[in-house]
Amino acid sequence: MARRLERIDRPIKVLTDDIYALSSIWNMLYVAVPRIFPALLVLLMPLLSPGAYGERVVIITAIYALLALSWDFISLSTGLVSLGQALFFGVGAYIAGLLNLHLGLSPILTLALATVLGASFCTALLAPCLPLRGIYFAMTTLVYPLLIARVIEATAIVGGTDGLVGIDSFPNAWVETYLVLIFLLGCGFGLRRFMTTDLGLVLRSISDNDQAARASGVNVTSHKLIALWIGAALGAFAGAYFTHLYMFVGLSAFSLDLSILPIACAVVGGMGTLAGPVVGAFILVPLAEMLRDLGTLRIVSYSLLLVALVLFKPEGLLSYLKRRYEQVERWVEV
Amino acid sequence: MKMKTFRLLLMTGLAAGCVLLAAASAFSQQKGQPIVIGAPLSTQYLYGWDAQRAMLLAVEEINAKGGVQVGNARRPFRLEVLDTRDLEPGVPLSEAMLVVEKLILEKKADVLMGGPVRSEAALAAMDLISKHKKVSILTTGSLTPAYHRRIGENYSKYKYLFRITSEAGQLAKEAVDLFESLKQEHGFDQIFIMVQDVAHARAISDIVSKTLGSKGWKVLGSEVYPTGALDYSTGLLKARDQKAQILFVWMDHPEIAILVKQWKDLKIPALPIAGISSAVEQPGGWANTDGAVAYWVASPANAGNAPSNATPLTMKFYEAYKKRWLVEPEGYGTSSSYTAVYVLADAIRRAGSLESDRLVAALEKTDLIGVYGKIAFDPKTHQVIPSYNPKEGAVGTWFQWQDGKRVVTWPATIAMGKIRIPPLMSPSKGATK
Amino acid sequence: MVPSLIIYGLINSVALALIALGFSLTYGISRVANFSHGALYVVTGFAAWLLLNRVQLNYYLAVFLAVVLISVIGASIYRLALIRVRGMPLLEIIVTFALGTAALEALRFFGFFGSNYSLPPLFRGGVTLLGVPVDTQRLAVVVIGGTLVFILWLVTHHTRVGLAFRAMAQDEQAAMMLGIDSDLMATWSLALGAALVGLSAIVLLPLSFIATESGANILVSAIAVCILGGLESTAGVIVASLLIGYAQILTVAYLGPHYQMIVALLAILVTLIVKPSGLFGKQKELEERV
Repeated sequence: MARRLERIDRPIKVLTDDIYALSSIWNMLYVAVPRIFPALLVLLMPLLSPGAYGERVVIITAIYALLALSWDFISLSTGLVSLGQALFFGVGAYIAGLLNLHLGLSPILTLALATVLGASFCTALLAPCLPLRGIYFAMTTLVYPLLIARVIEATAIVGGTDGLVGIDSFPNAWVETYLVLIFLLGCGFGLRRFMTTDLGLVLRSISDNDQAARASGVNVTSHKLIALWIGAALGAFAGAYFTHLYMFVGLSAFSLDLSILPIACAVVGGMGTLAGPVVGAFILVPLAEMLRDLGTLRIVSYSLLLVALVLFKPEGLLSYLKRRYEQVERWVEV
Repeated sequence: MKMKTFRLLLMTGLAAGCVLLAAASAFSQQKGQPIVIGAPLSTQYLYGWDAQRAMLLAVEEINAKGGVQVGNARRPFRLEVLDTRDLEPGVPLSEAMLVVEKLILEKKADVLMGGPVRSEAALAAMDLISKHKKVSILTTGSLTPAYHRRIGENYSKYKYLFRITSEAGQLAKEAVDLFESLKQEHGFDQIFIMVQDVAHARAISDIVSKTLGSKGWKVLGSEVYPTGALDYSTGLLKARDQKAQILFVWMDHPEIAILVKQWKDLKIPALPIAGISSAVEQPGGWANTDGAVAYWVASPANAGNAPSNATPLTMKFYEAYKKRWLVEPEGYGTSSSYTAVYVLADAIRRAGSLESDRLVAALEKTDLIGVYGKIAFDPKTHQVIPSYNPKEGAVGTWFQWQDGKRVVTWPATIAMGKIRIPPLMSPSKGATK
Repeated sequence: MVPSLIIYGLINSVALALIALGFSLTYGISRVANFSHGALYVVTGFAAWLLLNRVQLNYYLAVFLAVVLISVIGASIYRLALIRVRGMPLLEIIVTFALGTAALEALRFFGFFGSNYSLPPLFRGGVTLLGVPVDTQRLAVVVIGGTLVFILWLVTHHTRVGLAFRAMAQDEQAAMMLGIDSDLMATWSLALGAALVGLSAIVLLPLSFIATESGANILVSAIAVCILGGLESTAGVIVASLLIGYAQILTVAYLGPHYQMIVALLAILVTLIVKPSGLFGKQKELEERV
């Protein structure tokens, strides 16, 4: 007998789709829990984590989550795939370090400045490549961080291969831990909201079909610039944060891992959902920490896991959970 | 259905595994009261694994004798090694920093020893380690003078940090003295320099070319290669065209094996002298390069990493290492890492405690004969005090590859043979102009 | 100085071309950017090393088996993994890159690190050309590189498989309508690309040593050459190799060794921004930009 799997929306999902239909506490909870619960979890994580080392892992996780969020935002709003998140990270990291060392600005101020200046610098670098698509754009972004690292190495500017040392750290452990978490949550929810604004909708139309958007009179390039700037700002913030966290910035701020891991997070969590990459980061990075005692095998298992997920569960964890939360599945005869 | 059950089982299995792992690690920390030595090392590279093996050897020896006397208890050592990956290209520094923090915060290391290996990482870790007020003895890797200079500049902040290996300034001085001895003996006065782009190598290149210039040498050229460079033919041909008599190389990346082969393939008529240069230093260098490494001179920093009779302990250590690991001491961090464990044991005994400030005071008063001479730290910069005489300080060592063996040829106080000149160079003295 | 620059520039260029040919062939036919290219290079080296030193095979047999093995691995990468994400360039890149990383790290886990592994040169001795000493192995690189390019040209222009390859490269859907099995051709393209990079490993590794770290360098070099020359053009690969090869040698001689890699990276960037399809890429120009 032939059967097929049918998926239909849960009644409560249909009921709560529109805000004015919320009628009971359950309905409200149904809408609120998926938003509030993860946010609370993220905020409580430093308190729940075992020991000071665990707190460190939470911070690193948040930094990677920002990079992953930035990657997903750029791909969602422009359709461009970045293989060079390390560019944003490195530029932000170096700007923060330089401002702090040479102008003696406080970490909070350098964070803000590095975010804005770093994003503008990266956008300026990538602006000539914006008309490119697909693999061609991906390749340019892959090359930029490698190139900048080599240029710094060859010309020995901004510290050369030694990097910059003696940078100030954050005033206290609370600021150190919570600043990045709050920024992450703010960006996560903010960007999700942003995608439903007029500008967000225009951006989405560009990523869906840039020719059609252009035909409708949308200035594709300038819109892409805006999206790229926002994405770059998140990455630059992550880099600047890292600089102050370890009181150091060096060539490794442009390393390839920083470009690859965020994509892995996005794939695991679910691409194009904005929340997915953050979820992915909060799974992958602590997992990598737990596997640390495996030594080299850690990266092997990590890479194979990624391949398996791409091949067999390309939708990502968040999309899967979302489907389960909103729909029921049943077998029906045909 | 089946698929679902399978998935469920898999999930439960994974979760259970994680819990078990965590429990097991927690349990292993409970039993006994060992002194934990945390070693952040890039274990996939020569300068990581040599230090790891040497430390383990020393720890095993000390534990076999019952451990260390701390106050009125005898406590064994336990070595915790984590891979910092800091020598790998493309890995962000956060890895090394996280490892250092993991050793301090989670593995509860009482003392840090070893790395991080790369200068960049070691310098970055200085702030982190002193923030946690942990005593740390650098035994391998970083040779940059910036390390002890920073300690000297800000003693109260960095007083917990020590370095027991040689450093760039001292190595450059040794190199210049070695060249001067070659000038006297063979009349060499033309040198071509090729170094890797790392802080200590650049520093050495600068010091050497400046000092030699003032002593009447002709420095024909000075090339800086990025880490991981795969082709050296152009630089070598330059040296050949300008008739260099000495090729001074300082590269600690494994790619120097390529340089060695190209030197042979291109028939460069110059005596190659490499400082700390992994593939040349290693006992396996001869086999790895198919014998191309013949006539190469190299320095594994401190005595004991190549056979000599610097102190009564030198050959004892050499043989013990060979017996334990079935290979001769390989890199420049071997004898120093081994000695560092003994220095630490000695300091703990004298301090009678593991408390950082008392340990620092005890380490500053260190005075014992190690594998490579007398070990004592400069009280201001915490850098081990060097000397050409093993009775007075830590002694360096330079050897030449002769007939498949590493023969120590310099300094004269510990030499086991004389430097041979490659047959390609004309037998008559002086330049072949 | 000048004769040595000419000779070593040529050797460097041919080495680059050898490294890039496999990448270009695979991409040209199946549009798969094989980011495990560098890993395949390293794996071939270690496979040959194992066959020579552990199994103690004859040199030619060991080398032959290593190249066959690597092409089988290449084919299975397509059959077992890529076939599921075909047509999604990003996922193809992630999958091949992750597989390559896994292979390299696994090799490290089994103790293949440091500078202890090298392949013996096929030829020993050397000659002096224009007053410059050149060893026979480097001459062999040039000869083998030249022969390979010629064979490749013959195959793609005068055999059924080669013609099918070119049909795929030009228009996949039209090729499928004419009865060319797209998946089969893509499998072949990966197998052949892997075999080519394997061959280059066999020829080039005796000049250096087998290191897992070189994987990334090989990949970047291959990408640089292919992008400059046009991602699917064999003629482009040759011209781009000569350009980059000589540019690198000249920068090392007159600017310093640091700029060697910068030349390659700048070549990629400038080409991508100015003419993304490369010097010789003529197809698919419409797809590359808005």
